Amino acid sequence: MRIFVLAGFIVVLGLCFFATQIPVSITSDKVEEAVSDAVSESELPVDGDIVEQVVLRSLEILDAGQRRRLTYLFGAYIIIWLVFMLYVLRLEQQQRLLNQRLTQLEIISDVQETDQEQ
Amino acid sequence: MGNLTTKIIGVITALLIFISLYLIFGYAPIEDTMFEVQKIFYYHVSAALTVYLAFGLNCVFSVKYLIQRKPNDDLLASAAAELGLIFCTIVLLSGPIWARYAWNTWWNWEPRLTSTLVLWLMYVGYFILRSALESDRRSVYSAVLGVIAFLDVPIVHFATKFWESEVHPERGAKFDIELPMLYTWMVALLALIMLFVYLLIVRYGMKKAQMRYEVIQQKHLREAA
Repeated sequence: MRIFVLAGFIVVLGLCFFATQIPVSITSDKVEEAVSDAVSESELPVDGDIVEQVVLRSLEILDAGQRRRLTYLFGAYIIIWLVFMLYVLRLEQQQRLLNQRLTQLEIISDVQETDQEQ
Repeated sequence: MGNLTTKIIGVITALLIFISLYLIFGYAPIEDTMFEVQKIFYYHVSAALTVYLAFGLNCVFSVKYLIQRKPNDDLLASAAAELGLIFCTIVLLSGPIWARYAWNTWWNWEPRLTSTLVLWLMYVGYFILRSALESDRRSVYSAVLGVIAFLDVPIVHFATKFWESEVHPERGAKFDIELPMLYTWMVALLALIMLFVYLLIVRYGMKKAQMRYEVIQQKHLREAA
């Protein structure tokens, strides 16, 4: 049971780590290309550099917002699994202690039986 | 309960948890106001409902123990309370993360949060009482406290109806939830209930073994004396 929970926790932790590392799929090259296309298609006079800067800044803001939200989301799930994992580890520890006590009791019982036979 | 049945429940629980995590992160759509943070809801609310179930079982077995005085009922009641406390801890830890993003504060002394904290403290008291008393008085006193502590569960549930809450939606308030979100929540709820059932069986078995050990040990001590 302990291995199952540990493995589960590591998988969730890995997923969380990699999910927060997802790079922005819209790169500055793509933005430059899209802005250039939009400016050339526009019937109104537009300053391409200014539009590009505005779009890039908007993307930065969106990216920062998403990273912040993902940190909250995965922070919550990590805590949830951490609580379960610590609880199961405690159960495992208690079970081990109980087994040790039972073994000691069996030894004492065997010694008492031997004494009675003698 | 047989070892095989416990293992089957364990495997089903593991599968449900895996499916629920996939649904939460890969299937459920992103909500319009809270965006990705809304996904905390699936485990937060499910854990809260599992807390009701756990403390409800604690109350039922406590009453049963007070009537019939069967030690197994006391063991089941304490196992349910222990798991309820674990799930309540999860609710109290995941809630503030939601609160920080939604309301820009980690904690708010509003009715539902406060009554949930009181519920958690009451069951912490339940275990302090159990560890402080000797076995004969422990079962009776903790059963009485279990019944009293359960009175806080309806207060938690109806807190938003009794008092005005600025943050939690009023109980029974109509809120639109998309079907994929509803299915995801149902699976997450089922996964946590199954996890509760599985851990309850394991914990009950352990408590029973511990009780048997104590009985045998006392018998040996008497014989040795």
